Amino acid sequence: MSNEPSTGSSTRVRQVEAISSGTVVDHIPAAATLKVAELLAGSTDQVFVGMNLRSSRVGRKGVVKIAGRELDQRTLSCLALIAPGATVSIIRDYEVSQKVQIPLPDRFEGVAKCANPNCITTHEHWTTRFAVVAASPLMVRCVYCERSFAASDLSLL
Amino acid sequence: MDLRGRHIISIADFNREEILHILRTAESMETGPPGELLHGRIMATLFFEPSTRTRLSFEAAMLKLGGRVMGFSDPGSSSAKKGETLADTIRMVERYADVIVMRHPRDGSARLASEVSRVPVINGGDGSNQHPTQTFLDLYTISRLFPQLVAGEGLTFAFAGDLRYGRTVHSLISALCHFGGRILTVAPRGLELPPQYIAEAMAHGITVEAVATLQDAIAQSDVLYMTRLQEERFPDALEFDHIKATYRVTASMLAKARPTMRILHPLPRVNEIAADVDATAHAHYFTQAANGIPVRQAILGLVLGVLP
Repeated sequence: MSNEPSTGSSTRVRQVEAISSGTVVDHIPAAATLKVAELLAGSTDQVFVGMNLRSSRVGRKGVVKIAGRELDQRTLSCLALIAPGATVSIIRDYEVSQKVQIPLPDRFEGVAKCANPNCITTHEHWTTRFAVVAASPLMVRCVYCERSFAASDLSLL
Repeated sequence: MDLRGRHIISIADFNREEILHILRTAESMETGPPGELLHGRIMATLFFEPSTRTRLSFEAAMLKLGGRVMGFSDPGSSSAKKGETLADTIRMVERYADVIVMRHPRDGSARLASEVSRVPVINGGDGSNQHPTQTFLDLYTISRLFPQLVAGEGLTFAFAGDLRYGRTVHSLISALCHFGGRILTVAPRGLELPPQYIAEAMAHGITVEAVATLQDAIAQSDVLYMTRLQEERFPDALEFDHIKATYRVTASMLAKARPTMRILHPLPRVNEIAADVDATAHAHYFTQAANGIPVRQAILGLVLGVLP
């Protein structure tokens, strides 16, 4: 798997516990790893976290594995916001049955709170909406108050 | 061009052709007798925050076109005071009125209202975000003074005062991106123009240059756009007194100005323009305020579908 670094020999060491079935989120920007773990972990889920792992693609990365569960659309949308560029692999019987890079949507709806304390969406019960203004680093603009934010500065709802 | 039913929420929603169409329509309001174009129509003014100029000029514009007005100007007398949501207030008012003009202290409130309302919502100021009809009247004023604006012949606009929080400055700069030119800024430390507006202007080929003093701005500009400095932005009262004196235009400072240079201000002014400037040929802020009438007449007529 991609979170196993080459050791220079034919032996590859798994840095995070394997799961028999579930989901692996890989290539998480290092600083967002715990946020992702928090997002994915339900009260009874087994979650394995690897932080600051070496990656040829992103330098330092995080890996989060969740046993026995596949992710719904809303969770994928949240991941696109807090961990842009991450990959999601669905594991069945210890094998990767499907692997995708999370697509970046044009808009995020109802996944994050606006960071502007004077935004109407923080005062009325209303679905938040953000338009993507730049992909890397990910910047979004609140459709309501029109302020732009780094995606990493937003908190999930 | 059909602006019937259109919400007027943010200057960013309008392209160059639409902006020019609104400016031309405003001009026709001054030259031709508008008559009772809006007879039988009702405009609701929902002012959740006090305002003098915006509300009165909207009401005057509606009355001059033969329409009627209703609403509130004291948030204490509105149902918001009882805890009603903005969305519910709009759902009620849209059934009573043909057009809604709204001012609200929260950023983004006008956009939310427009998503609820089936009648056009006109943003009369949402928090520190947008005030698009002010921007249209600023552009109208500039285009009447300098018709070459539309031809993109490179006017120099100087912005002075609180450029960080001044929403009229931000919106006008965004609008000027459709027309080109050169921008000079002069602001106290900490109240400079935010980088995003500098980047936006430069991306449209407009040069943005910070100048050291108000005198530099006066000497080089076609339009000097003054804004009010608010004492609450300065934690130190002594510092505020010093800055206030530095960002004040007086008649004697205008000796080096181009004869055609005009001073604009969204008003109310406090100290930043001395009373002795009013009598000079450069003072144009009261005409600018008066331009709010034809511009708002045009917008009302267009969104209500009685003007082409």
